[in-house]
Amino acid sequence: MTPNGLVLEECDLAEKPLPLFDEHGRCIPSKPTAAVHSNTRRYFAIVQPEIEYGDIYKRIKKHLGVSGDITASEFERRAEVILQKLQNDPRTKKITDGVRIPFILPKATYADYGDALERIYLKAVRDSFNNKFPQYDFVNHHKDGLAGKLSIAPESRHARLVEAMQKDQAVGYFFPCLTEYSVPAAIEQAEALPDQFLLAGGFDTCAAMIATPDLLLRTDGYPPLLWLGALQGEKEQVGYHFEAYGYNLTFNRKPHFNQVAEYWCAGLVVLG
Amino acid sequence: MMISTSEATQNKLTPAEQARREGLMARKPYIAAKLAAISAMEERGEISPIIRLEKSYLCNFQCTHCSAEYYMDRHKKKVFKIADARRKIDLSDIRELSRQADELGLARFVITGGEPLVMKDFDEVVEAIDPEKHYVIADTNGWFLDDKRARHLKSIGVEKVQLSLDSFIEQDHDSFRNKPGSYKRVMRAIDASLDAGLNLLLSTVLVKGRAKTEEFLNLCKFATEKCVGLYVSYAKPTGSCSDHPEFVIDKEDADILRELEKDYNVFTHMTPTYGSFKGCITVKGIITVTSTFEVTPCPYIDFSLGNLRETSLKEVLARGMRNPWLGPYRPDCLIGEDQKFIKIHMEKTKGVTHLPVPWGQGFSDADSLFD
Ligand code: SF4
Repeated sequence: MTPNGLVLEECDLAEKPLPLFDEHGRCIPSKPTAAVHSNTRRYFAIVQPEIEYGDIYKRIKKHLGVSGDITASEFERRAEVILQKLQNDPRTKKITDGVRIPFILPKATYADYGDALERIYLKAVRDSFNNKFPQYDFVNHHKDGLAGKLSIAPESRHARLVEAMQKDQAVGYFFPCLTEYSVPAAIEQAEALPDQFLLAGGFDTCAAMIATPDLLLRTDGYPPLLWLGALQGEKEQVGYHFEAYGYNLTFNRKPHFNQVAEYWCAGLVVLG
Repeated sequence: MMISTSEATQNKLTPAEQARREGLMARKPYIAAKLAAISAMEERGEISPIIRLEKSYLCNFQCTHCSAEYYMDRHKKKVFKIADARRKIDLSDIRELSRQADELGLARFVITGGEPLVMKDFDEVVEAIDPEKHYVIADTNGWFLDDKRARHLKSIGVEKVQLSLDSFIEQDHDSFRNKPGSYKRVMRAIDASLDAGLNLLLSTVLVKGRAKTEEFLNLCKFATEKCVGLYVSYAKPTGSCSDHPEFVIDKEDADILRELEKDYNVFTHMTPTYGSFKGCITVKGIITVTSTFEVTPCPYIDFSLGNLRETSLKEVLARGMRNPWLGPYRPDCLIGEDQKFIKIHMEKTKGVTHLPVPWGQGFSDADSLFD
């Protein structure tokens, strides 16, 4: 025992790692220089959809055409390991209390991100949504095409997801936990987090939407708009996003002017 | 108020809209060019709200859901036993507003009230706005809009008429508007406006539960068959509706309407136009200039962003855009759906005799979404 118990207690406190996520799984802003709300009244919120690994596996396989030898149980096992690891670390534990969606991405190499997103992934989101909700619509309001228009924000770590896909099928968890961050603040925040966190871009966000087509469907309140935060548009301060319109799902483009809005959200991804 | 004239297009225009725009370009190229520039302005982060001008609150109706009732002299006399001694706007104020708006690239004025067609100086107001510089719309209950008046409106430069029709069932419309015969007058006004070559919009207030009714469906069908847009505004817990909380819609009503938009020519100002989503258009898409030259961010929000006698339109708009309730993009109706804002609004407007609540007492630069 030290002569001064108080000092020991202070040392203990100092060494206790601070949680990176709040009790709702929101990523606590670590003072990014870009615009972010430090508090939230959680007015725009995503409700956790039911996670049934078998159904998600079938949906992604059917609509995205993931081929190869990964089985449903292998997908579940790898996804659960991701959650377990996050839960074992007191800094990251709380992210698993928030909204979380497991996904698989195919092994693939694409010459152009925007072209692949439009031709393969948005089409699969549409099919998955229509399949689950034939009475509602998925509408891509952006009619001018995405080929040649999208690039990966260098600090977002999203390039690592693309590299992982080039090597093999990728299993991951998607967490829409950067609520009320501006797009640049989301990028800064991802960079400040432990190494396993990547900012979500197009392929992973689409995979989460294919896995759970009702992710943004709410009848009792409004879900946030979901930016593809790791992707830069063809112009500065322009981004692409998913957004609910009533019971329908939309994809669109919008200038964000580096501003923060209560309505805006981006996702983090952890691969496993 | 609608924003269907928005030029923010990524998708193709309908042939009818294309023809309307070409017609305007031929007759009023200056206005057409300003309208065509709006999407580029928005892409740069600039705004081009429609200006609703409430020069006078005189009205020949007394509607159950009127958002302007608390601004009216008759209300102040009856409820507060007072007269409003504040200075009112005159034609030179309107000319100055028109000039400032033009300088900022704004292009659209709606003359509303009250009932604009009872205003003795309506023609002078149109002239002061300058219909060669701004697209002018009259928002009317239609009572006085016969063939002759419709042709006259067209001749003085009014481009569009927005006619209120609150039920497709005659008795219901008349009783909602507390004016027997008003339904028939609206029907007359529809034909008169179309015959005079005015663009026409029907407007209707959606009260809770109405979206599911056969009456509403029939109204949607009627408007669609007539090739006239049906602009829907939600009943809000303000104005006369403060006494009718049962009118205020919930998300289900709003979502049913969003589904009807797929099949009928029906929309709200939050309906995406040609792929452009605006959401709630406070400041970004609409402002109201009251009879005392105060600027409010929406017809239903009784907090001022400033008085144009003291503050320029540019600064007033900047105040609105940096306000956390008003500036950021949001998909819902701030005054109709956000309970926290509704509570703040109710508390701060309660018992206030002279609306809107001045800048600094309702809205201010210290506003926060959090307590
Ligand atoms: S608060 Fe927004 S959505 Fe509601 S009426 Fe006003 S401008 Fe429209």
